Amino acid sequence: MRSVKAMFVKQTLDMFRNWPVLIQYVVYPAVAFVFTVLVAKADETIADTMFVAMFSSIFAGMALVFSAMAVIAEDRETKSLRFLVMAGVKPHEYLIGVGGVIFLFGLGVSVVFALIGGYSGAEFFKFLLVMVLGSAASILLGASIGILSKNQQSASAVGIPVSMVLGFAPMVTMFNETAKQIFDIFYTQQVNVVANDVSTDIARPVLIILANIAALAALFAAAYRKKRLG
Amino acid sequence: MIEMRNIVKRFGTQTVLNDVNFTARDGEIFGLLGPSGAGKTTIINILTRQLYADGGSHSTGAEPFETGLMLDQDGLYARLTCAENLNVVADIYGMPRKKSIEALQSVGLGDAVKKTVQALSWGMRQRLALARAILHEPKVLFLDEPTSGLDPATARGIHQLILNLKEKGATVFLTTHNMDEAVKLCDRVALLHKGKIVENGAPSEICERHGAVKTVPDLESVFIKLTGAVLE
Ligand SMILES: Nc1ncnc2c1ncn2[C@@H]1O[C@H](COP(=O)(O)OP(=O)(O)O)[C@@H](O)[C@H]1O
Ligand SMILES: [Mg+2]
Repeated sequence: MRSVKAMFVKQTLDMFRNWPVLIQYVVYPAVAFVFTVLVAKADETIADTMFVAMFSSIFAGMALVFSAMAVIAEDRETKSLRFLVMAGVKPHEYLIGVGGVIFLFGLGVSVVFALIGGYSGAEFFKFLLVMVLGSAASILLGASIGILSKNQQSASAVGIPVSMVLGFAPMVTMFNETAKQIFDIFYTQQVNVVANDVSTDIARPVLIILANIAALAALFAAAYRKKRLG
Repeated sequence: MIEMRNIVKRFGTQTVLNDVNFTARDGEIFGLLGPSGAGKTTIINILTRQLYADGGSHSTGAEPFETGLMLDQDGLYARLTCAENLNVVADIYGMPRKKSIEALQSVGLGDAVKKTVQALSWGMRQRLALARAILHEPKVLFLDEPTSGLDPATARGIHQLILNLKEKGATVFLTTHNMDEAVKLCDRVALLHKGKIVENGAPSEICERHGAVKTVPDLESVFIKLTGAVLE
């Protein structure tokens, strides 16, 4: 517990100063806000929630994958992880502390997205639930990439294309039916589906996202068993 | 007591440690001397259980939480301040955070408490790494080339600090390729060459044994005599 707290504090302090990571928590909601106000609200033919839906799924797929990956890859590369293990920090304590901070940052941004989207009442919580689950999936994926990579550079080489596909899948599906069928199994697509029309039944999206989480947790467990953290 | 018995370590086909034996007694400063590539860091890694040996036995007489380690400057959080870096460690060990400030003062970083690591000079980072290693007042402290790359004044400061730690009862195991440092600091030393300990004992004893006492004990010439190798 002491170690979880230590990791949590370290990560919180670091997040506010880790400019390349922090910027992502600002840019996506900011862009969504600008487009919602200037475009969606002004244009009768565009749903008010379209840009929130678009950027919240991009955020879940990209920013969270990227930060989990970047943080772990950096801690491995600078060998601070090795020092922690020497000091008796258990790998799960490290991951809970660090992942927890990323999760809370993601939750904060999700609330901002919900407010921009103008969701209220039950819709607000439905949207948040889907975002929270999507965030968990993204953090597992990012952590797996971070663990499997030698350094930050090789993490980015894998993480950037993967998160691009995840983040932009919902946009591609707007234009292509085949893509829609394929990307249907991606959690980012399901985040997008719910955000677009939050009055829908969320049972199916939630189940698909949970299946994603299960698959990514298995990936994470395999990555972890293979590489440990040192 | 830190002890190695018949330790063998290979990396692939290269035998880096070939039947290494030594004992460092409790409460002393023990120096492991050898040129770079001799296997000093490998010995520390084995003793601190970061590497497995291929043969032999070893012990440090201390639990992991009673052990301090400064391998290099790695693992400092660049965007965190000196105090924040140490607070992370203090939190892990359940020590009060005022220990962080005390540790920083003890290495002469009292004025840099709020500086981020990325704004520190090389020598300051080295001292911060040392502060991190001693924060939890370990019983046994491993220091891998604690003064390499430091200016003489900073090195002297670190020497004093190591002597203070010994005063307080810690066992200090350090590596160096600086013979003067070894003579000045260490109660006993072991000379490592080509994977073997070629000599060990108190510096003055070793020098007498090899007729190498000039005005000051001259370990350097002992090493050259024994091995034909020159230390850089
Ligand atoms: N992980 C490793 N894999 C392969 N060879 C290594 C590894 N670590 C050290 N060595 C080799 O072992 C020898 C001793 O290295 P090291 O213990 O770092 O020496 P020192 O600390 O005395 O300079 C060197 O020849 C080095 O190349
Ligand atoms: Mg070395």
